[in-house]
Amino acid sequence: MSSRRLFFNEAIARALAEEMEREDKLVVLGQDVGAYGGAYKEFAGLYERFGAQRVRDTPVAEAATIGIALGAAAAGLRTLVSITYMDFLILGLEPLVNYAAKARYKTGGAVRVPAVVKTTAGAKGQGVAHAQCIESWLMGVPGLKVVAPSNPADAYGLLKTSLREEGPVVFVDHKRLFSTAGEVPETNEVSMPLGKAAIVRPGTDVTLAAHSYAVRIAVEAAERLEPAGVSCEVIDLRTLAPLDVESIGESVARTRALVTLEEGQPACGVGSEVAFRVRERLDVGIRVARVAARPAPVSSNAVLEAEVLPDAARVVETTLTLLEGR
Amino acid sequence: MPDRPDPVDLLRSMLLIRKFEEALAFQPDRGFQLLSSGEEAVAVGVCAALDDRDQLLSSGRSIGPALARGIEPHLVMAELLGKISGPNRGKGGRGHLASPDDGFFGAHAVVGGNLSIAAGVSLAAQLEGRGAVVACIFGDGACGAGALHETLNIAALWKLPLIFVCDNNGFSISTPVARGVAAERLSDLAIPFGIPRRTVDGMDVFAVYEAAREFADVARRGDGPGFLECRSERFASHSTSTRETRSNEELAAARERCPILHLGARLEADGTLDAAGRSALEKDVEELVSRAIRFSGEAPRPSPDDALSDVV
Repeated sequence: MSSRRLFFNEAIARALAEEMEREDKLVVLGQDVGAYGGAYKEFAGLYERFGAQRVRDTPVAEAATIGIALGAAAAGLRTLVSITYMDFLILGLEPLVNYAAKARYKTGGAVRVPAVVKTTAGAKGQGVAHAQCIESWLMGVPGLKVVAPSNPADAYGLLKTSLREEGPVVFVDHKRLFSTAGEVPETNEVSMPLGKAAIVRPGTDVTLAAHSYAVRIAVEAAERLEPAGVSCEVIDLRTLAPLDVESIGESVARTRALVTLEEGQPACGVGSEVAFRVRERLDVGIRVARVAARPAPVSSNAVLEAEVLPDAARVVETTLTLLEGR
Repeated sequence: MPDRPDPVDLLRSMLLIRKFEEALAFQPDRGFQLLSSGEEAVAVGVCAALDDRDQLLSSGRSIGPALARGIEPHLVMAELLGKISGPNRGKGGRGHLASPDDGFFGAHAVVGGNLSIAAGVSLAAQLEGRGAVVACIFGDGACGAGALHETLNIAALWKLPLIFVCDNNGFSISTPVARGVAAERLSDLAIPFGIPRRTVDGMDVFAVYEAAREFADVARRGDGPGFLECRSERFASHSTSTRETRSNEELAAARERCPILHLGARLEADGTLDAAGRSALEKDVEELVSRAIRFSGEAPRPSPDDALSDVV
């Protein structure tokens, strides 16, 4: 299969353009998604190609915008609604959690909501309310799928799959990922199922499980640990709900040690869920540790931001401590 | 759609809601229900202005809207009593009944929660271009919610074919509307958005119908949304498990405004429906309700396994 080198934001735009070409009923809504092309140019070219009816700028009204996107999807369209920063998704959780996630269930299957809520998480110098990674909040909502790719190929593949789902999907990207590049396969097929993690770096001593931008930190930590004689297997979760406990469990069954890494908070975080689910699954003793943001808001102040965010050094330190005396 | 609905049909529809709820209230296993009694004219008047292409959404107070839209009473009863023969297999129950194929897109028991969903349904209708309109019935309580104001703004900007129907029954559980919403006339909330508005007597089914029809015609032509406030009376407390806060005198005064009483008297006075006709009408409706009770009584409950089906 041939491939092209694309930036993460280009991979999103390409996936959307292809799906909009294929499906007339797919409509994109959100702030600045039109001629402006999205805060990170991840919608570039769509407005020019598909027009204002299908690529709709919305007012600053996240709650209604999400509700409208979900209602339109329930009534026969397919929609992608962009919420610029994940912090603002909080404003629209009501229709997402109370309506869309429950629509199929509460109607006994009469209503489906084929909508994608795309939102950007992560800290990059913009302060306490433009920085949060709250994807773990959504993992416990029955009826929601949560996707968080770490590279352009996965962003492309997982977005295309998400856009063909019959129920609501939250697609979480990250501010620091848009400018990363990678090979993206040249295909119009959908071949990347939700709920499948990927081993991005094989290893034997410890499993590092991460998602989104944190996968890059995990890989960096793995590279630093190698000279110290620690072989890390890095798993990219890719989808948080459903969670691929089988793949993570297989890895941890071999390494007997798990370090979870995320940019969000540790309490009730992705890592605590991953660790518990893996522990439930395995009947062998395993060592577990987690690395996450420190329990404080993430300031725009560079010194404070760096202190709160997890980095490769903390992963290295945590991993070495976990494996002490093994 | 006939130019003007048959008044006897409207009376029948309102009577059905009233008698249905009276029978429901007698069911020992009815659980928590939000009743529409007193507010029948709002649902019936609005539905008389809708046609088969259109969709209706409502708040959790959905029995009147669902029956007025024409969902079979026995199916509504089965759903409300948690039976799998309901349109939602008993999973929606009170507050979340839905039957899009019947033009009832659904109830949603979050105050104001269905407004943006309805706007989305109307966006789908607008893009489909068949001239369908969407009506969303919400309570006075939703007028204090941001969801209404955000949705009014977008509906006006995009000229959505959406009728905002505020069923102002005067109370959010115990809080009188005057203490819940600063605007004296709730339809005035549409003014800053340039949305045409009306406030009508919600106990007069023709007043509701005529205003709803006017807004439906406007929306169908592509000229955007309308805001219809219907001033109604809730005859019972907020729900079957909520304490009543009004005095007996206040309740008696509310019941004096009964929409069924008034339409019935008018039709008798003008000779449209004599005593024999009225009695036959009541009998018809009672038979429908009896059938609904029988059907739902015999219908099975879901199995525990159903708790985990249709989730994702």
